[in-house]
Amino acid sequence: MVAKLHKVSRRRLSRREFLKLGGAATASALLAGCAGQAVSPTDTSIQAPTSLPTSLLETPARAPTQTLNPTLTSSAGTPEESPLPVTPTSANLTYLAVAHGSDPETITKTALAALGGIERFVKSGNNVILKPNICTDYNPPEYASTTNPTVVATLVKLCLGAGARRVRVMDNPFGGTAESAYAISGIAEAVKSAGGEMEVMSPVKYARFDIPQGKDIKSWEFYRDILEADVLINVPIAKHHSLARLTLGGKNMLGVINSANMIHQNLGQRIADLLSRIRPALTVIDAVRILVAHGPTGGSLNDVKQTNTIIASPDIVAADAYGTTLFGLTGADISYVKASAEMGLGTLDLNSIKVEEING
Amino acid sequence: MDKWARARRIRQGVQIVFFALFIYLMFATVQQRVAPVLADLFFRLNPLSALGAMLAERTWLPRLALALITIGLTLLFGRVWCGWICPLGSLLEWVSFRKRRKKETSLYPRLRTVKYFLFATILVLAVLGNLTLLALDPLAILTRSMTTVVIPSLNYAITAIEKTLYPLHFLQPALDWLESWLRGPILPIKQPAFAQSILIGLVFVAILGLNALADRFWCRYLCPLGALLGLLAKVSIFRPVIGTACNHCTRCALVCRPGAVEVSPETVSITPSECTVCLDCLASCKKEEIRFQPVFRPAAPQEYDLTRREALGAMGVGLASLLLLRTDLRNRRQNPLLIRPPGVNDENKFLSSCLRCTQCMKICPTTALQPTFDQAGLEGFWTPVLVPRVGYCDYGCTACGQVCPSGAIPRLTLEEKRQEVIGKANVNKSRCLPWASATPCIVCEEMCPTPQKSIRLEEATVLNAEDQPVTVQRPHVLRELCIGCGICENHCPLEGEAAILVAIY
Repeated sequence: MVAKLHKVSRRRLSRREFLKLGGAATASALLAGCAGQAVSPTDTSIQAPTSLPTSLLETPARAPTQTLNPTLTSSAGTPEESPLPVTPTSANLTYLAVAHGSDPETITKTALAALGGIERFVKSGNNVILKPNICTDYNPPEYASTTNPTVVATLVKLCLGAGARRVRVMDNPFGGTAESAYAISGIAEAVKSAGGEMEVMSPVKYARFDIPQGKDIKSWEFYRDILEADVLINVPIAKHHSLARLTLGGKNMLGVINSANMIHQNLGQRIADLLSRIRPALTVIDAVRILVAHGPTGGSLNDVKQTNTIIASPDIVAADAYGTTLFGLTGADISYVKASAEMGLGTLDLNSIKVEEING
Repeated sequence: MDKWARARRIRQGVQIVFFALFIYLMFATVQQRVAPVLADLFFRLNPLSALGAMLAERTWLPRLALALITIGLTLLFGRVWCGWICPLGSLLEWVSFRKRRKKETSLYPRLRTVKYFLFATILVLAVLGNLTLLALDPLAILTRSMTTVVIPSLNYAITAIEKTLYPLHFLQPALDWLESWLRGPILPIKQPAFAQSILIGLVFVAILGLNALADRFWCRYLCPLGALLGLLAKVSIFRPVIGTACNHCTRCALVCRPGAVEVSPETVSITPSECTVCLDCLASCKKEEIRFQPVFRPAAPQEYDLTRREALGAMGVGLASLLLLRTDLRNRRQNPLLIRPPGVNDENKFLSSCLRCTQCMKICPTTALQPTFDQAGLEGFWTPVLVPRVGYCDYGCTACGQVCPSGAIPRLTLEEKRQEVIGKANVNKSRCLPWASATPCIVCEEMCPTPQKSIRLEEATVLNAEDQPVTVQRPHVLRELCIGCGICENHCPLEGEAAILVAIY
């Protein structure tokens, strides 16, 4: 009986049959491919975000059904519209929250609570991405070159608590592999125990997207998921950088594009251009420890200052502007913060907005 | 007969297990930060590289002592390594050509001498402190081919297919799932690329292709490790022996892949030095006249054993080639771009301990380590060189030293490795953007991993093409602090050659 079975399974395809099958498979794959491409340019549901979240009272999350397409033409966007519908005084809600205290988890929660809770940004069933700064695999978090793992994990828990369907955490380190940097930063372990996922950013998932409002760059290669997520939360660490002077929320978004090195030749404007497309719903600046010199890599504890602060705002420009004050600067000193404000992506003027400072 | 057929099954299973283990270790160590203890298991079991390294270094290398297991096994049972364990041997056993199977004639048996001659030459060169020919070790060949040819090709193919399919929305969940499994643990983010992958690939294909001339051509005629084990097998205790009731049906000779069954008009016998203990003959014998039994006398000499004249010839070839290699111009004027892995400070010592096994290139997370062609002279052919424009030495990584079987790249702690100077960066002011074209750029300084930054910036105001003043920050290298990791050269945004270059002095 065994021998019989053997005979049946031994029957081989002839070369002709094999080629036929292969040809059919290729043809169907090609057909499917053409069909997909033929549909997409006319897909009306595809739109670039052209403004900030319409109102701070509403959810800044993008509609979950929205799809994005890399072949989008700039005419689909309407850059003529006023890009800044944010009227800080119109909202009763806190525009910018700053929490001070020695426990990173507590101050993260306090800052978010002051903003009206994570539910203001994350709705049930949302697909959430957190983008911390995990620049290298050189040093553990005490060296303040990567975002504090407790802050990231706390945000993961809050998002899941608000009913997020999926919370992913990712960055594209320039030193070392993603996996080793995730591990050394302590973020991998913290996120996993909080119930989130670490994603290694796959080269497959980058695509060129138009930047309708871009002044210097009109298109760039972005990581698709960052633009397609319902909610993107930007979790930078505040630290020194010799060209930008400081790396904060705006600069942290260089981690979601390809060829970030090509941004540096006109850093301020180019980051602002990218931000006009990326639009994080919330920026949470980790200033538990800050790196005051030899950034962004660091490596000496002498350059680390314990500042025990969390800054959170839906306005990335305002958050960054506040962040600069920890280093004795103002938002206007940082080229990309200034350029972003000039493009109407947020406000530099900390006196015109409702800031809530909490000592916890 | 049934018993031996079952034993043969077991052998085939063992082959699959070892081959799978080899492939698993390959992927388990590629792109991983900390090398598993098992990463160089196969090389530690390899008596050829152990013998070569110990002779050339003139020291006992405890890490390679595992090779004694293989030697012990061979003295007991013959070339079980070749028939049961060696992943290249298994691969060559599985690659068989239809044309070959129909042919019964075998090649000129004297050709088998080649492997003994090669082995003798390797020994002579090792005694003289040279290991160049270890590039022909079977494990080194397989590791090198996998590292520089198979894995990069596989990564390219999979990534290209996924990229093509990704715009199809209905496929995205499946591709996302696939990526979450493959990317990182199995496939690297950055497409690996290796120097000379075409040459290495051709050698690999040639070795597989030679199977069309004879089964396991490489193992029969060329393999220097096979030669070493063959010599040991001449005095092995357990061997397949053909009994007196043999009726000369020669079925055993037909099934024998290495062609170890000698058929003469009078007798049929099995040559232990060529037998890979695959047990095929025992399973094939209808009369059950082949037995696996202890024999306490050395095997009979063969016409293809090295003659005294040939042994002397091997010595001569070894000596002459050493003289040629050592008087190469490269030895007199060191190549400034010959950046060795961290911890390697003495080039001569390195050349006489590097096994050319490619383990370091396999594990380097940035594929910075590349096989040399002539950068280190012919003597250093296919040794690792760090090419910063391809990859940098990651400040948080010590992997190459952890997997180096012979210790040619020392095992360093992270703190020790960070102190190792492998080169020095030099700014090319005629290409550097802030120096040469009034364009702001500080990428090299930004990347520099040393805590105090080995690259410092000096502000200058210069006029641009529109005669507007522009403030730029010009990079300077502090040579006292620079460790030559090469991340500055690697990330320099200029097209083509970087404006900051690492050299060994």
